[in-house]
Amino acid sequence: MTFRDILLQQVINGLSLGAMYSLLALGFTMVYGIIELINFAHFNVFMVGSFIAMWVLEALGLSGQSRILTGWPLASVLAVAFGITMLACGVLGIVIERTALRPMRHVPGTAAMITTIGVSYILFNIILLSTGAITLNYPNPMPSMAWHIGKAVLRLREVLLWGVSLGLMVILHLFVRRTKLGKAMRATAQDQEAARMMGVEVDHVIMLTFFIGSALAGAAGLIFGLYYNFTSFLIGYTAGLRAFTAAVLGGIGNIVGAMVGGLIIGLIESVGGQLLQVRWTDVIIFSILIAVLVFRPTGLLGLSAPQKS
Amino acid sequence: MKRGTASVRVGLVAGVVSLCLVAVLLTMGGVPGTQAAPTKVLYVGITLPLTGADAEDAELIKDGALLAIEEANAKGGVAGYRIEPIILDNGTATAGQYDPAQAAVNARKLVANLGVVANIGPQMSGSGKAMAPILSEGDLATITPSSTNPDITDPKFAAQYRPKGKAIYFRTVTTDAYQGPNMANFYAEKLHVKSVYILDDSGAYGVGMANAFEKRAQQKGIKVLGHDQLNPKEADYTTILTKIKGMNPDAIYYGGVAQAGTKLAKQAYDVIPKVIKGGGDGVVGGSFLKGAGFPAAEGWYGTIAAPHITENPAAQPLVKRFVKRWGKQPDDYSFTAYDAALVIFDAIKRVVASGKPVNRHTVRDAIQTTHLQTIQGEISFDQNGDLKNKVISVFQIRFNKEYPPDDPLHQYHYIGVAPQE
Repeated sequence: MTFRDILLQQVINGLSLGAMYSLLALGFTMVYGIIELINFAHFNVFMVGSFIAMWVLEALGLSGQSRILTGWPLASVLAVAFGITMLACGVLGIVIERTALRPMRHVPGTAAMITTIGVSYILFNIILLSTGAITLNYPNPMPSMAWHIGKAVLRLREVLLWGVSLGLMVILHLFVRRTKLGKAMRATAQDQEAARMMGVEVDHVIMLTFFIGSALAGAAGLIFGLYYNFTSFLIGYTAGLRAFTAAVLGGIGNIVGAMVGGLIIGLIESVGGQLLQVRWTDVIIFSILIAVLVFRPTGLLGLSAPQKS
Repeated sequence: MKRGTASVRVGLVAGVVSLCLVAVLLTMGGVPGTQAAPTKVLYVGITLPLTGADAEDAELIKDGALLAIEEANAKGGVAGYRIEPIILDNGTATAGQYDPAQAAVNARKLVANLGVVANIGPQMSGSGKAMAPILSEGDLATITPSSTNPDITDPKFAAQYRPKGKAIYFRTVTTDAYQGPNMANFYAEKLHVKSVYILDDSGAYGVGMANAFEKRAQQKGIKVLGHDQLNPKEADYTTILTKIKGMNPDAIYYGGVAQAGTKLAKQAYDVIPKVIKGGGDGVVGGSFLKGAGFPAAEGWYGTIAAPHITENPAAQPLVKRFVKRWGKQPDDYSFTAYDAALVIFDAIKRVVASGKPVNRHTVRDAIQTTHLQTIQGEISFDQNGDLKNKVISVFQIRFNKEYPPDDPLHQYHYIGVAPQE
């Protein structure tokens, strides 16, 4: 392998990581955009999502990487898995909002944020106690198809990961920009009080935001499982922290910023690991974050894009 | 105020009454049929990471130790004493695997309980480093059935790990001072590896193993292309694997435990399927098989720091008893734990025979002078607590479809003893 091939391979790896971080970052950034709350429960909604998806795949008769599907069966299995997982995680998001966060909404200070940390730990421990702590082998029906670009390898799972992430992000973008509910979300983000006066059901909008953010986390959880072939109760922490960093890097509250931030973090991780050592990954990521925040305190794309429109 | 005193009094009365009841129940229970059972009790601690990624293998170690204790009690105890285990969990949910901070807490608990005469554990060297100084202060001996980091017993670090001077950290396995280097010998002499990339999982055990391997590999003329550290909580190792792929080594060597190891195995199967892969005892066991799964685990080499016992014909009656009692297959560290319990029993017997009082101090001194024939051979310790008999066994994972894919006894194929200098 020449250095160019390796670099290309690292860019492919980085884009895959980045796509996953982007999907996760969207949940942080949407909730922050609407109610200015950093939702740490999001870390583990993602983790729960990967478990729900695993159970769905197992219920569909898959186990390990032994049964490979192609064509329509593969597409329908994945569609069912994505559908159920996103729905279940969305509902989980609504439940968290309704039971733990709504009572906190008018409490000043950091109470609500601390509550999300608590919820995060509850989810973490539920999964730990009900599934045990070992790393689980993930049911994966995807064939190991791959394309060669020079010596670099592009696998089907990467294409799927990019495709699904891009698709979901485009849908989200259109939803927020073009639909009435999206308009209500943007209005609530700008000024809750004024939105309420204009007849926007603010409570519903907030619930919807949690639903969409959590559903995207669920999708990311499933993608994680299919990409790495494993899941464990621990996966929320590292991925969540990177995704949160991505949201801040892109400008928290800014949807496009979250997508861009995710990709940048993913690329830094893989290319940085190639050029230096992987043990420095976190140091590199957080140094760049600090540097960006020093010179652009609102992140790369600025705070809350909705306010500008 | 009045109410306060009244409720305290009620509480006291209730407490005394319940204590009496317990006493009565105990004596009643003690009378019929169990007269032979010894009433004097000695406590033996068992400290293992029963929560987290190491739990699977830790359970097998616990089961080995408990089997020995149950068998001894069933035979009327040890020199007139019934042995009671005190099982403490060294793992935490936050760490997701063994947690040295928790191990330190457990060590303090054991030291504070004067009935405890010795301890079995820990599984992990990281925990051992946290426990050793506390145990040394308390003069409480522990026998580890699996932790292999050499520093803990190295006289160079005595000030750190045994400030009181006497050895308190004994092992029924040998150390990574042999495990890493002997595997490097095996790489060079048997697998004819010319170049290697080394990874570790940034834990005490993993770093020590990887460093010891690296040193010997260089002496053996293997070209070390690099040595990097994995974050065990990280999910993605494709970056480092892609980098390794670019260097095109003959082999990789991984020093570390299952948490990072399983993920490494999965992703290495995708990125560098043809490269020889191996590790230490961290990649031997059910946790590794279950997490990595087949085909990713296929072909991995691993070592253990003890003779291979489970397939030894002489050990078969013991294996059968284990399977009968626990309904699962043991691994070799189940029996080093079994042996650890036997060493403690033997020490207690010798203390009683000598007429000295049985306590942790006399038991420690007796453990130091152990000469005990067990299923793994003769157990005796040098003045640092290390096993005198040093054997490293090499295994390779080869899928045997007649057995469950996570059955360590049948999926690890015994290759032989690693060459020693």
